[in-house]
Amino acid sequence: MIHQISRSAELTTLSEFRKYIALICSQHPEVDENILYDMQLAVDEACTNIIAHGYKGMNAGSIILSMEINDDYAEINLTDFGHAFEPSRSPAPNLDAGLEDRPTGGFGLFFIYQTMDNIDYTTNVYGNRLTFIKRFNNNV
Amino acid sequence: MFKNLRVKKYPVQFETRPGSLTSEWLLEDSDSPIILEQINNLPNNIKLRVYRNLLPPGLMIRFNIDPITWKGPDGQLHVGLKADEQTGFVHLWAHKNGSQQDEFFRLEISDNPQRGIDINLIHLNDPEGQRYSTDFDQDGEPTLFGTTRRNLEEERRAMDGGLAPGQIRKNLGASALAFQQIEAFLATLGHRAYFLDPLTYSSAWVFEKRGFAYVRGHKLMDDIQHEFQPGGKLHEALDGSTTFRKSDQWRTVRGRAWAIHDGILENIGEQWDGLRMIKQVGRHAGVDTFPDAEF
Repeated sequence: MIHQISRSAELTTLSEFRKYIALICSQHPEVDENILYDMQLAVDEACTNIIAHGYKGMNAGSIILSMEINDDYAEINLTDFGHAFEPSRSPAPNLDAGLEDRPTGGFGLFFIYQTMDNIDYTTNVYGNRLTFIKRFNNNV
Repeated sequence: MFKNLRVKKYPVQFETRPGSLTSEWLLEDSDSPIILEQINNLPNNIKLRVYRNLLPPGLMIRFNIDPITWKGPDGQLHVGLKADEQTGFVHLWAHKNGSQQDEFFRLEISDNPQRGIDINLIHLNDPEGQRYSTDFDQDGEPTLFGTTRRNLEEERRAMDGGLAPGQIRKNLGASALAFQQIEAFLATLGHRAYFLDPLTYSSAWVFEKRGFAYVRGHKLMDDIQHEFQPGGKLHEALDGSTTFRKSDQWRTVRGRAWAIHDGILENIGEQWDGLRMIKQVGRHAGVDTFPDAEF
């Protein structure tokens, strides 16, 4: 079953999405707290990016969060209609650099890549769609 | 490091070719969207066959109009089509008794610069309902649905008669049917979504119910909902200073729409402008900026 929630691209939406993900996962005992946290973090970071960059300079449009939980993995989709972003151009943060040498930001995408098992990003004139796959058991 | 990331960009801008559709073009690929200009360049009878699919047959039967010939019992055409060659515009309208006065359906769609489809106008009026001349001012000049001029007396009568801004007659109650038809038509052409700019607050709300999301303006709709609550700036601005700003109007979509049409958004430093909505074919976005609303 696909669950879906749509909200405007505003920072207040982040907490609503976190709660929504927790609510859906509470119905699935196979999703433990660590997996829930990873999914919330990934959605949080992706939405922050959409809010800060995707809809920059315009009255914010919608973000549609849909998720489906299967036996051994969850699929999360985020759809927006703002400016497309270029995830492949985002440099990996230098974790070896001293704190004072690290640029502000840039860790959001890093967290997503680190915690999700598959990430697809599709963009065209109909909008942008970011898809995460999170497996419940990475050995599968 | 980003080994699990896959980026797809297909197609950022659709490639289309000038001229009309050809059988060779159609044989090549069944997925590429066809734009309206390509259809408009076809011979007239083919255009009629294609654009016939924009009209819900059930709606035609309801008004005793043959959905194939577009003729009524009087043998006269009751449906009009304007789809000129070398343009990407299609206008389609239907009337009950042969005059513009009892028009019950009007649809204007066009190609947009991104080779997608925009709905520029959709009207579904009950021809039996009382007509309010909000579309012309007291000097007989068109108001463009109250956007450039206003006929305040007719607007007041329309509001009291249960209409929303931009309406000249009460709604036909067939928007779900009409959008299903438009969507099926656009899917046939290969479009995965279509766009529109909502003229009024009430029309934006209706489009939300029909499954649209916002390209721009979702935040404005949220702000409107917030500020119309007791204690909000828009709630306070319903001060009775004009006919369209009565204190109880915050409770309904229509009441809010008339106050916004009257310029009440100035109180939050905004105006009704620049909103854009998108409907993805087959998907309902589930946007609801005025939960449990009464129209």
